[in-house]
Amino acid sequence: MFSKLKIRHYLLFLFLLLIGIRFNLICYGFYFLYSYIKLVFTDFNSAYNILDVPQLDYTISLILVVALPIILLLFKKRAKWLENRINFSNCFFLLLFFFFLFAPIITNENPDFQKNLNVTRLLPPFSSVEVLHLKAQKKIQDDNISEFLSIKKEFVKNSFNESIILVDSVGNRKNYYYQGNKKINLDKNILALKNGRPYITAKLFILGTDEYGRDLFSRVIYGTRISLIVGIGAIIFSLIIGLIFGFLAGYSGGSIDILLSRITDLFLTFPIIFLILLILSLFGNNLFAVIIVLGITGWMTLFKVVRSEVISIKRKDFFITSGLLGLTNLQLLRREIIPLILAPIIVNIVFQFASVILAESALSYLGLGVGMDYPSWGSMIEAGQEYLSKAWWMSFFPGLMLVLTLLSANNFGREINRLYNPWISDDKQQI
Amino acid sequence: MLELENKTVIFMNSEFIILIIKRFISSIIILFLLITFVFILIRLAPGDPSQKYLSSKLSPELIEKVKVSYKLNTSVTEQYFSFIGNFIKGDLGISYNYRKPVTEVISEFLPFTLILSSVSFLIQIILSFFLTILAVKKVNGIFDRFLSKSVIIIYVIPTFVLGVILIYVFSIKWNILPSSGVKSYGNDEKNFFIILFDYLQHLILPVITLSLGGVAVFYKYLRDNITNVYNRTFIDFLRANGYSEREILIHNVIPNAVNPLISVAGIELGLLLSGTLITEIIFSLPGMGRLTMDAILSRDYPLVIGCTLTASVLILLSNFAADLIKAIIDKRFVKGLA
Repeated sequence: MFSKLKIRHYLLFLFLLLIGIRFNLICYGFYFLYSYIKLVFTDFNSAYNILDVPQLDYTISLILVVALPIILLLFKKRAKWLENRINFSNCFFLLLFFFFLFAPIITNENPDFQKNLNVTRLLPPFSSVEVLHLKAQKKIQDDNISEFLSIKKEFVKNSFNESIILVDSVGNRKNYYYQGNKKINLDKNILALKNGRPYITAKLFILGTDEYGRDLFSRVIYGTRISLIVGIGAIIFSLIIGLIFGFLAGYSGGSIDILLSRITDLFLTFPIIFLILLILSLFGNNLFAVIIVLGITGWMTLFKVVRSEVISIKRKDFFITSGLLGLTNLQLLRREIIPLILAPIIVNIVFQFASVILAESALSYLGLGVGMDYPSWGSMIEAGQEYLSKAWWMSFFPGLMLVLTLLSANNFGREINRLYNPWISDDKQQI
Repeated sequence: MLELENKTVIFMNSEFIILIIKRFISSIIILFLLITFVFILIRLAPGDPSQKYLSSKLSPELIEKVKVSYKLNTSVTEQYFSFIGNFIKGDLGISYNYRKPVTEVISEFLPFTLILSSVSFLIQIILSFFLTILAVKKVNGIFDRFLSKSVIIIYVIPTFVLGVILIYVFSIKWNILPSSGVKSYGNDEKNFFIILFDYLQHLILPVITLSLGGVAVFYKYLRDNITNVYNRTFIDFLRANGYSEREILIHNVIPNAVNPLISVAGIELGLLLSGTLITEIIFSLPGMGRLTMDAILSRDYPLVIGCTLTASVLILLSNFAADLIKAIIDKRFVKGLA
């Protein structure tokens, strides 16, 4: 029964799960979207000024939650991959892309959110704290913008929130609460009311919290974004460099070929991790620097694949004919070569993807990764190593995600390889 | 006897010597290009080492003095040529951090990395051979399938995750092995064997961390090659002639299967020797990897170039050794030496 499940069943399950869990948030999100559009038509300038990156992020994920299932339904006939059987690696890959696209909706929390450190610091997985909601401050102005901002505050989560207090437990009569071992008296009047009673909810930390009291679950899921962005960006870079250089070396031959091959050998001789560290520490490390450096240092294997394929193709009759017909080099590359070498390139890309993700985490572990602005699995593991005796979950969950990602990328690559080269033993490509 | 003569003939050959000389020259060119590349990279970077001493108390004249003492006042081409000249003389300069010649600093840190990585390399080779021979006794048996699955998982676990897991299990949960450093404090006046035991205890976890990934790689290659060789017809011929399985395995299968492994082993050994960066940082060990990392982070340029050079020489040497062994085993690979 389980083996008959297909990818479309799995996707349906994921979407239903997401919409079921976050139904309230999604509905509220559409109310938020409606009020923003209203604001755009009434007061365009302030609407333009209010728009920031988190809001855009939340809006895009919100629209995609609804739009993506519809698009998939419409193009059901075209998308043949939906009919593939599920297995561990493609399930996990889809889950990663799910995290990537819908991170704000899934987590419903800012990865940098911290509040009441003495309560939330180093909480183990599946622990929960009580949330006291405070009465809203009196509105200074009563116009469109402040009304919209109050709606936005509920939907787009900030890294701070003035209107809640996180406490360990609240007394029965709601006249005192505990934070750590401290007993603090509570003035009932500051609490917000819901249905005539004080509004107190519970907050669950599924994967626990780190040393700054930040929710590990949201950090792990936002870390997926960094890994995928770095992986895809670096792959595109090395794809462009590898394709162009490989085509040049294979097609023109002669001195250019020798020169480029020597440069490749030079790159392969050097322990590449030192080169990356050197460049990043000399020129500063941030997200774009990491992407570019990993892209520039990862094209060698692709270059070798493309070069050897081009050398074998350029002696074939159809290719010579196309050249005589007067196609330019770029046209030759696009029409005659890329369709033929797509399979080895894709296999190479998937393994390259895994190695780039590994390299990014290693760099973040060494402190030269994407920096402190973004939660990255590597830096989370590094931070957790200090608290290993007190909080194993801090480095365990990012490490688990990293290992599963690499495992599924490797399996995925081997599967594609088996699909395209059924006569070659797949294991040699893997290492 | 005939075989032995054949093997010695390779080395007597003048062609062989020419190949070695070619290899030597191309290695030197690669090293030269590499150093030039690193030099350009360092000079392109914003800032220079004199900025480390910048403070409000430092007068402009003193800054100039510091710059002169680092020879940063001369032009870049002049710096480059003086650097190359010194390099040919064997002088790599003086480390900014350690205030000692770079060669001296490296010779302090290199032995540790050499010992650690060669021990780890030996363990990788021996363990993977042992596991493979156990696994191919019954291809697709329970043990074989179990190993194939677990080897993939071990292969994908990054070094730093593995190190953290090992520290958690052995140092924190069970508290039987130390988690960092190479020796305990206050052990200096004790018995020689106690000190030795202490060192060994500190090295167990790093060696495991370093070795497991390599064991997975070697195991996959070896198992693949050995099963491929078993599928060839000459094995059936040998079996039909009444050779025992043990004899076939030792005399025919393994020599035919190790050839691709040797070049992989050369690359692996080179990477290990050039500095086991992440392992050294996890367990805070004094080796080449951490030395390079510290030099890069503190902008100790002479030391960076020295470490780069050492790493590349070691990589080139181990690749050369792999090619040489391949050529000795199989004469067809002699061309690969150049």
